[in-house]
Amino acid sequence: MWYNKCVDLLTVSVTARESAGEPYTLVEIAGEADVTNTDELRRLLDEEVSQQPHTLIIDLSGLRFMDSSALHALLRVNRSLDRQGGVLALVSPQTAVAKILRLTTADRLIPVFDSVAEAAAG
Amino acid sequence: MAREGKTAQRVPAAQEALTRQPVPRPDGDGPLPPSDDPMSYTYTTDLAAIRAVVHRYAIQAGLTEARAIDLTLAVSEVAANTIKHAKSPGSLKIWYDAKEIVCQIHDEGIITDPLAGRRQPSLDASGGHGLWIVNQVCDQVEIISDETGTTIRLYMNLPSAKA
Repeated sequence: MWYNKCVDLLTVSVTARESAGEPYTLVEIAGEADVTNTDELRRLLDEEVSQQPHTLIIDLSGLRFMDSSALHALLRVNRSLDRQGGVLALVSPQTAVAKILRLTTADRLIPVFDSVAEAAAG
Repeated sequence: MAREGKTAQRVPAAQEALTRQPVPRPDGDGPLPPSDDPMSYTYTTDLAAIRAVVHRYAIQAGLTEARAIDLTLAVSEVAANTIKHAKSPGSLKIWYDAKEIVCQIHDEGIITDPLAGRRQPSLDASGGHGLWIVNQVCDQVEIISDETGTTIRLYMNLPSAKA
């Protein structure tokens, strides 16, 4: 499973992976996520959530910017996964993205890791 | 999602803006002069371009990278509100002097809550984080809203400025 979707400034790639025999879904978000592409981001993330992954890892290392609309999309994924017994983890936010996660305390709700390997290991 | 601004005439504000230099306030103690300043940009949905302009001027004015990122985030959040709530393009003006950099955003949206952005929304809330974030990252925020529209001024003190 692999696809790459460009939404103006935003690129979202999804891959199915395994860590120590445990499958997880890796979503890489790159570019800039704001209100002008949140609908598309939400739709793409909803598709992955609907596959009921046990672990969904979002790699933010390529994301230069995220506003509160995009943050809401991530929080929504977190709530949905939580309800269906799954886990969301975020990886490597850049400075601007780390800032909004910290300001809103979203980083206390959703675990943030330094690498995909660490996130996959839980 | 409302994207009314998209139907309005698109002004390539950012490209134009990048060729201009901001004009510092001639008298540091005088009134802030947004009106005749040529640094005025109109935006519709081109938020990435607006962010690039704000970041560039913030660095040029002397903000640190971290604070430039803060101001960029704040302007982007306010401009995002224009896209969500106003039915016409917004305008952005930037000016700075030795003490501070100011970004003024105006649109035809109306904010009725006098405490908008002053209370931290729950993480479960479906909105309301934008203006709260703006208040967290900026040194001063002024919101003037009436039936004709809303003007928001975001102030950031420059590192060399004495309090």
